[in-house]
Amino acid sequence: MDREPLFRRKTAIAYKTEEKTVLRGYDLSEMAEEGYSFCDAIFVLFQGRIPTLAEEKLLKYEMGEFLEHSMSPSAASAISVISGRPNLPAAVAASIMTFGGAHGPGAAHGYMMNKYLERARVEGKSLDEMGKILVDEYMDAGEPVMGLGQPQHLDGDPRAEPTHIKQEELGLDGVYLKLQRAIEKHFYARREREGRSYVAVNMIGAGNTALSDLGFSPNAAWCVGSVCRGYSCAAHAVYTMKKGHAWAASKREPMVQMLDLSTIKYIGPEDREVPSQEERQEYARKQNESGEYEKWVI
Amino acid sequence: MGDLDKKPVGNLGDPRLLYDYANRKVGTVPPDTTRPYFQWVSEVAYKNVHRIVARGYDTTEFVEQGYGLVDMLFVDFQARIPLIEEEKMLNYVMILTLEDGLSMPAGISRIVAKSKTFLTQACGASILAFGHAHGAYSAFGNMLIEGLRRVEQEGKTKREIALELAQEKLGDPALGVSDLMLKDPAAKRMFAQAEKLHVAGKYVAFTKEIVKAAQQVSDHPVDLDLLGATGATMMDLGFTPEAIWGILAVTRSFGAGAHAIEEIEREGMVGLGQALTPKEDYDGPEDRPVPPLGDRDKIAKPAQTYTPDEWRKALDERKKLHGSGFAIVEEIKDPSKKR
Repeated sequence: MDREPLFRRKTAIAYKTEEKTVLRGYDLSEMAEEGYSFCDAIFVLFQGRIPTLAEEKLLKYEMGEFLEHSMSPSAASAISVISGRPNLPAAVAASIMTFGGAHGPGAAHGYMMNKYLERARVEGKSLDEMGKILVDEYMDAGEPVMGLGQPQHLDGDPRAEPTHIKQEELGLDGVYLKLQRAIEKHFYARREREGRSYVAVNMIGAGNTALSDLGFSPNAAWCVGSVCRGYSCAAHAVYTMKKGHAWAASKREPMVQMLDLSTIKYIGPEDREVPSQEERQEYARKQNESGEYEKWVI
Repeated sequence: MGDLDKKPVGNLGDPRLLYDYANRKVGTVPPDTTRPYFQWVSEVAYKNVHRIVARGYDTTEFVEQGYGLVDMLFVDFQARIPLIEEEKMLNYVMILTLEDGLSMPAGISRIVAKSKTFLTQACGASILAFGHAHGAYSAFGNMLIEGLRRVEQEGKTKREIALELAQEKLGDPALGVSDLMLKDPAAKRMFAQAEKLHVAGKYVAFTKEIVKAAQQVSDHPVDLDLLGATGATMMDLGFTPEAIWGILAVTRSFGAGAHAIEEIEREGMVGLGQALTPKEDYDGPEDRPVPPLGDRDKIAKPAQTYTPDEWRKALDERKKLHGSGFAIVEEIKDPSKKR
């Protein structure tokens, strides 16, 4: 059997020989047999270190609660993809790839925090002062402050504040949580002053803050959060695969299905005749000149 | 809704068509009022403004009670709280499958990351590496289920069925037995741990039979591999083959994420058109002039064949062109074959 490397790279993460697989210097079997947890291994993977017990507890808490979020964009992707009955991994991959600039933008939040922490250091500001500066700069620019607001949990994500509290209870409230708390305080105050509705912290604000204080880089934290959600999306995909109809359009189901034709609401151009090839050039010229089509361009 | 009165276009007046294309209704289908409107039906989870609930357990209360990620996998996939030994065993399995060096998931993840994508694209792409060869958990688990069903229904012993499987599938990456781990004890250590924690059951036992049978029929040394060890152990933890496929692909994706990050840190991005393919790696047709468009009819060879013999001859010829796809034969369900 050909066991040549697929490609060559210098890597500081792991090596694998015929005898063993070693992650950041630790033999995986030995780690597992010693009783370390998967969450411990995540610290080793991204940070090359064994975490404290409190750190391991917080990651276990966070990943445990972040894993399942019922009907969110990632789960919707998984069930949509599996409706075509590809191999299961395609649906799971799609669910993780759904995480972007709106759904769980963990890396962006982390980079925002790092930027303002650096400014606090350079400008000699307290974290409370820098929290206010951050909020004002984002809100003055009309930009959403990352880590705040969730379209489904209108009174605040049920996981968020408990995560802050758990982080504090475990004595892991470092600079990130202190800055995050300041951001929330000044954000709430400014919205109140402006007569705007209450918008609470979300799981990026809480979870990503915790991951940052646990020593994960912005992208490593994003990986931990978004990949973790892949587990529940796999469950939703498997459930749909085993107990739902393929194609999601069956007329035999007692309920109208996701892809039933009656769910289509079309608001595009009126039905119109396809021009013949003889008519084409003149038709296209007029269409171009009228510019009416431009309102439909996406 | 309305009708457009127009002449048939192209072949759309052909009498063999199943309905009158010239007079099809236009507009969307009206809302179906005979059935309840679409809702997201799930046995797995729901949420409202203040709660997220998986299999009946509020997830925030769940973690406040001290449960965590690995427990949650049992809840989501099996609707139950695992025994402490089961939770320990799944931790063990997940640590072993988190990292595999520069294997395919890491490779794909690194390549995707080089295009300056979101990290989530690289992580997601790594999961696409899991098929029926690399990480064939679905195929392996279903083989065990089918094998044990045959033990019950055909009155054969586990050893006999294991021998049949070994004879039929030796060399198949989904067998769980190969020459991959002759020097690496990790797979056998996993079974030992499952036995020590008293979570090893019928699937570990049956897999051991398959290992013995494979060693009997193979002309070279083979042994339990990581696919067989992780697959059988997780089956004994109550996970279905599909759940295992999903869980372990996601588990590996954390490792792939680290590889994507390292690739960016150490190797950088690659732009469109940047990477070259040296001619010495090319073994296709020699460089040749592009024929004038006007000569198309003289030089173009049509693909159509008109008899099964012609078809077969063309098929065999086409197999010689790498990248055409004809040399690949994928398995599909064959109703003509009955066990």
